[in-house]
Amino acid sequence: MIIAALILIVSTALFFLYLQVTCQEILRREFDREYFQCIANANRLEFPSLRKSLEEFGAPVDYPRLRMMLKCDFLTLTYLLKNVANVNRRYSNEERLLILYFRWQFHSLAVRRLLRVGENKAILKLTSVLEYFANVVGQRVNTVRFGNLTAADYLHNL
Amino acid sequence: MDNRIISYVLQDAGILIEAALVLYVAWTRQWKKQGTAAFYLTCLLVAQLTRACVLHAYGFASLRYYYIYWSTDFLLVLSAYLAVCLLFRRVDLRQEKMWGLIRLLLVLVFILVAAISGVSLSLNRKHFFTYFIIAFNQNLYFACLALNTLLYVLLRYMDSTDNQLALLVCGVGIQFAGPTAALALVHLTTGGGFALWLGSLVMRLCTFGMLLVWAYAIIRAKDKATQVTRREIPGLAEVTAELDV
Repeated sequence: MIIAALILIVSTALFFLYLQVTCQEILRREFDREYFQCIANANRLEFPSLRKSLEEFGAPVDYPRLRMMLKCDFLTLTYLLKNVANVNRRYSNEERLLILYFRWQFHSLAVRRLLRVGENKAILKLTSVLEYFANVVGQRVNTVRFGNLTAADYLHNL
Repeated sequence: MDNRIISYVLQDAGILIEAALVLYVAWTRQWKKQGTAAFYLTCLLVAQLTRACVLHAYGFASLRYYYIYWSTDFLLVLSAYLAVCLLFRRVDLRQEKMWGLIRLLLVLVFILVAAISGVSLSLNRKHFFTYFIIAFNQNLYFACLALNTLLYVLLRYMDSTDNQLALLVCGVGIQFAGPTAALALVHLTTGGGFALWLGSLVMRLCTFGMLLVWAYAIIRAKDKATQVTRREIPGLAEVTAELDV
């Protein structure tokens, strides 16, 4: 009975660990360029500055504002993911998984703040998901073509 | 919705993904690089198709289906163990001495699991297909999970850049961790109805999850290779950012 309980606890923990690790491995994907900065500038997203302030000063801005910033960036990027240069107008499987991962981390942020355990780490994870989404959007936008022109060439010619 | 329908849908979708992935590996001639994944996927596919054929021909309550089910389960767990061993081999260990140690560990774990399961057999010799195989399969699945976790820790420790291998390992972890937890829950609740239902659902969901992660790993790796040769083109995002300023 004790061994079965131990196996249950260990395997459940490992199951969730592997899910989290899978998300992190997806986030490790290397893009040929850093697209996220352009997307963040164009859409006035705040996660790059938030991460910078966290990495440089070690302390985030006030908590309600932080949550609002992350939520707004998330909503913007998920909208862009679904609608910009996406013929199918739907998320891919890995994007769905990362959206769930973001929501899970976002809710756990409140608990972490309450317990004062690994709050900054959670914020960095959230910003890394947003960075990935911005990179995906940027890469898609970069490959859109109008006839023989890319979207960028098209806009240059206007 | 009927629980059986969910179960059948997951199973059939799993068979389709397995077949599609094996065909994809064959089509793109990645047998050498994706040998481990292709091997385990082929084993899963053959086992599930055999079971489906026997079930269709002889029915759920037949003795033939019973023997085929447990025989294929036995072969599946052996192939899973072999797959984990092959994943270990794929790690760039840099030192042949380290691989020698790991190979010894893998052999010892297998002998230990067989010996522990042998104790169950010696106590219940008449029930080879139930006591020995169930005990052996459970023990070996848990051993696979532990070894797989060790492999992931090793990958992180060595700071491996093989993202694809890490994803394959994650997929294997999901495949083993969920069912192990479900089996332990069934054991704790002494085979309660809800636990059995949850267990069968978790097993199929975990296999499905592993297939999705593997599909991502195998297909994304190809995308990554083609990205290198792609022509650099000006980004719309950069242009819009400039316009915004």
